[in-house]
Amino acid sequence: MKTDDLIEALARGSEAPKALVWPRLAFALIVGLLIAVGLVLTFFGMRPDIGAARMMVLMKAGFAALGAGVVLPLLLQLAKPGRGPGWRIAAIGGFALLCVGAVAVALMGGDPSTRFEAWTGGAFPWCIVLIPLLATPTAALLGWLVRDLAPTRLAMTGAALGAVSGGVGAMAYAMYCPTDSAAFVVTWYAVAIALCAVIGAVAGSRLLRW
Amino acid sequence: MIEAEAELKALMLRGLGGDAGAHKAFLTAVSGKLRAFLRPRLRTAPEDAEDLLQEVLIAIHTRRDTYDASYPVTAWIYAIARYRLIDHWRRRGRRGEHIPVEDAHELFTAAEDEAADAKRDVKKLLDRLPQKQRDCIIRVKLEGMSVSDTARCLAITESDVKISTHRGMKTLMRLMGEAEA
Repeated sequence: MKTDDLIEALARGSEAPKALVWPRLAFALIVGLLIAVGLVLTFFGMRPDIGAARMMVLMKAGFAALGAGVVLPLLLQLAKPGRGPGWRIAAIGGFALLCVGAVAVALMGGDPSTRFEAWTGGAFPWCIVLIPLLATPTAALLGWLVRDLAPTRLAMTGAALGAVSGGVGAMAYAMYCPTDSAAFVVTWYAVAIALCAVIGAVAGSRLLRW
Repeated sequence: MIEAEAELKALMLRGLGGDAGAHKAFLTAVSGKLRAFLRPRLRTAPEDAEDLLQEVLIAIHTRRDTYDASYPVTAWIYAIARYRLIDHWRRRGRRGEHIPVEDAHELFTAAEDEAADAKRDVKKLLDRLPQKQRDCIIRVKLEGMSVSDTARCLAITESDVKISTHRGMKTLMRLMGEAEA
């Protein structure tokens, strides 16, 4: 087909399809969270003292939601062609600094003899494995949206997508997570979300192709 | 670059608003730029360049709802062209050369350089004409002033303006022929 004929045909073509970004984004985030919550309830069960620990669970989920929310503008920016990240990277950097500050303050305030245990939780932090798993449904739903927006920098877009999904996965994980130490939660949830970003960068550069 | 941005953006927005003629003009203008961008990068497979050009045009057409008017349209087009070119190399199993992420003027200055060269050449030739002929041509032919206004402006008669313009143009033609040869 000659290029001029192609242009002729395209110009006669129908209206541009609407990507419906906001409804689909809301759908991906809400359904992704619900599936992750369903997975937690099915396989791990809610923590037994959920009544007494309600506030702690909400705070942990809130922290995870903040982590997702801080990366979301970057994801939406990168998802469309030809846009630099700009201040949106700085927002994430600011959030990371805030996390470091919060961990430092929490550890300084604690008893030095239990400081290390408060930080590491005294055992393997399973959340860095479980949060990425719980992030998978959200990542798949977000990927379905983002691919339609024609991202042109796939690894970076994938990293942002992974981090947002990680935040959503961590919200669900908070219902199960038995450790309430602030230093522990901030450190390991942030590490888990960062790990999701790394996985997202690797997977995104293949799976987000359009 | 700035001219291309303003012009393409206007066409793009009218096209998005449902003006099929503007959309066609937009695609035509973009295809010229894309051809100049893709050909030298696919020198070993020139037949691929036109196929790839068509792929980029289709992508630009079908994804045009991802364009946001608060961002430059040239950057948007460049990002899609760059992505499609890299994707093409990947499918061919070779990595190809590096293409910078933010370098939209790569795509939008080549043709304008030619236009600028032409402008400079015309100016050089004009400098070789007698003062009166040059003044007349600049006003009548380049600035689009009327003959009577030019006459008043240069304080000469209208027929003088006409004759000087005519003679000057003839000389220019001859000089251009020499320059070509």
